[in-house]
Amino acid sequence: MAAMVSLLFWLLIVPFCIGLVPANFIAKKWRSPGLVLLSGYFVMWALFELAAVPAVLWVEYDNFKTASAVFTVLTLSFAAAGVWLLYRSHKAGKPGPVTGKDKSRSGMRMTDSMGEENDTDVSSAGSIGARTAAFGKWLLRGSGIEWLLFFVLLGFQLYQAVAYASFDGDDAYYVVESLIAQEAGVMYRILPLTGGSTGLDVRHALAVFPMWIAFVSVRAGIHATIVSHVVMPLLLIPLTYLLYYEIGRQLFVKDSQSGGNVFCRENLPVFMILMAVFQIFGNVSIYTTETFFLTRTWQGKAVAGALTIPAVLWLFLLLDGGKREKETEVEKEKEDRRGLWFLFVCVQMSVGICSSIAVFLVSLLTALTAFTLACVRRDLRLLLKFGAACIPNMIYMAIYVIVAYSYLL
Amino acid sequence: MWGIFLESVVIFKNFMGWHENHLLAGLYVFALLYLWLTEKDKTKRAIFVYAPMILLLLFFCPLFRKVFVRIMEDSETYYRLLWLLQMSIVSAYGLIRLMGKHRRIGLAVACLVIAVCGDYVYDSEHISRAENAYHLPQEAVDIVDLIAPEEGRITVLVPADLIYYVRQYSTDIELPYGREMLIDRWDYYHAMYEAMEKAEVIDTPVFAELARTYPCAYVVLKEDREMKEPLTDHGYSVYGQVGEFVIYQDMTLQE
Repeated sequence: MAAMVSLLFWLLIVPFCIGLVPANFIAKKWRSPGLVLLSGYFVMWALFELAAVPAVLWVEYDNFKTASAVFTVLTLSFAAAGVWLLYRSHKAGKPGPVTGKDKSRSGMRMTDSMGEENDTDVSSAGSIGARTAAFGKWLLRGSGIEWLLFFVLLGFQLYQAVAYASFDGDDAYYVVESLIAQEAGVMYRILPLTGGSTGLDVRHALAVFPMWIAFVSVRAGIHATIVSHVVMPLLLIPLTYLLYYEIGRQLFVKDSQSGGNVFCRENLPVFMILMAVFQIFGNVSIYTTETFFLTRTWQGKAVAGALTIPAVLWLFLLLDGGKREKETEVEKEKEDRRGLWFLFVCVQMSVGICSSIAVFLVSLLTALTAFTLACVRRDLRLLLKFGAACIPNMIYMAIYVIVAYSYLL
Repeated sequence: MWGIFLESVVIFKNFMGWHENHLLAGLYVFALLYLWLTEKDKTKRAIFVYAPMILLLLFFCPLFRKVFVRIMEDSETYYRLLWLLQMSIVSAYGLIRLMGKHRRIGLAVACLVIAVCGDYVYDSEHISRAENAYHLPQEAVDIVDLIAPEEGRITVLVPADLIYYVRQYSTDIELPYGREMLIDRWDYYHAMYEAMEKAEVIDTPVFAELARTYPCAYVVLKEDREMKEPLTDHGYSVYGQVGEFVIYQDMTLQE
């Protein structure tokens, strides 16, 4: 029971509270509970990188314990800041950072989280019978069947993740690294494959995702292997689909200027179903992100491929999407994007805890996408903005190169 | 340069599973071209069409591959460049645009096409019903439970079948060699591994002497493993048996 409470606290409450910080600095039209939770995770992982990488590099004894202590202080401080910002905006009567809705709106649209185009307004004051009837109507006439199908597919994937074991040889490295950190309190000083002592293997040592799993394991008091193989899939699979949902929200935002058949919220569950089907049938080789996602969900590289790389695209859509040629400077200023830029930096840093190679890959993706956006928008400032957001990655790569080639100095 | 280009082609084919007649790559290319022709939104064109096309060009560019391999000091991970294409997202978006108002029938057809062109992940030979919460073979757990020290660490020699799992359960168990010996292409040499796994029949005197150099407190062997002489003739005693695995304890270490 204590383990469950601890997992809920560290994997749901803390990230959600942290996510309130960037959400508070994002225009209300983009705010949603999903965005808050995702933001919380990316900020939290960025904080973990800040806490763990210096400890790996410069703390010799009990470096995991040191990193855990620093990370705990950082995350709880950010979570407290998020709660304070929520309280402040509530007190000032501003739109809430979670939903972006004004307090004056008492009505609750049940369909907000599942598509706004359905015709089912359900007043919070309505009777249970009316609610049930409205739900049935939404299920049959709206996109309810599609959502139901998607959740069946999601449930199937979660069931498979828990009831079936997926063998992967890399677990002998990554999962054991987590377990060593949990049992011995050290990071990357013991060779996971055999147990002998070892020098710093920079290729793996900077990608500290297994250490974050170890942190969760220690806080929850659960064996790191169980956390890796059972808890992580139950967390990361829904979290990844939450990201796809947010991407879908950007792709299928209602747009009267374009085709109404495509750009409507009914396509959101269709998108989610297709994404789920792609994951289930994406095992065309052992190399695809889909295979990694469902067969080695707990490994940092799988998180990089399925979650953090798409998150970069999601933020490109948010940061640059929806701009119209006639948009005035005043209108642009109204759209508060500070939180999005902060989030973009955090996503770039999150990639670093997942995989060292992914840092290079995401930097390349950012450069290419920023370049193409700068070309189509005829705005070279975009290159500078996105380039500046990659500075943490450049520092990461510089550390990588210095540590990797320090023997030459 | 031509050779490097052909290597990239092979990597792409392997990534997309063409050699096993999987055609999801075709679906992606179709979606990419469809979006190229129909997508009006500049942002989406840049993110889902132009950037992936440049990425694909880079992927097949021999000079880029040379630079990548030089920087990363690793040619085995070059395929991960293809992760940046995010084929599922682009394909799903392209398919939905193509469906237009025929949402439900389009969805059914699209799912069918994906299932036919793709490969079902859960019928992999590497996926099996979980035997415990650790998702490790129960035999590995039982063996470690039997031999784990109350305090400190011990070295144990285990057969290849257990190498991946023992330390995922307890890091108090150390191994003379790890999974690095099981990957042929890494081509490592380890005398203990040679004596344990490569020898058709275990040369017991040499084997026992080698195992004591670590020293291995326990040796785990499959019950049908052939040996020139029984290990019990060389200072070992049978400590227990879990399934097909016999656990020998080195009695000389107890003295």
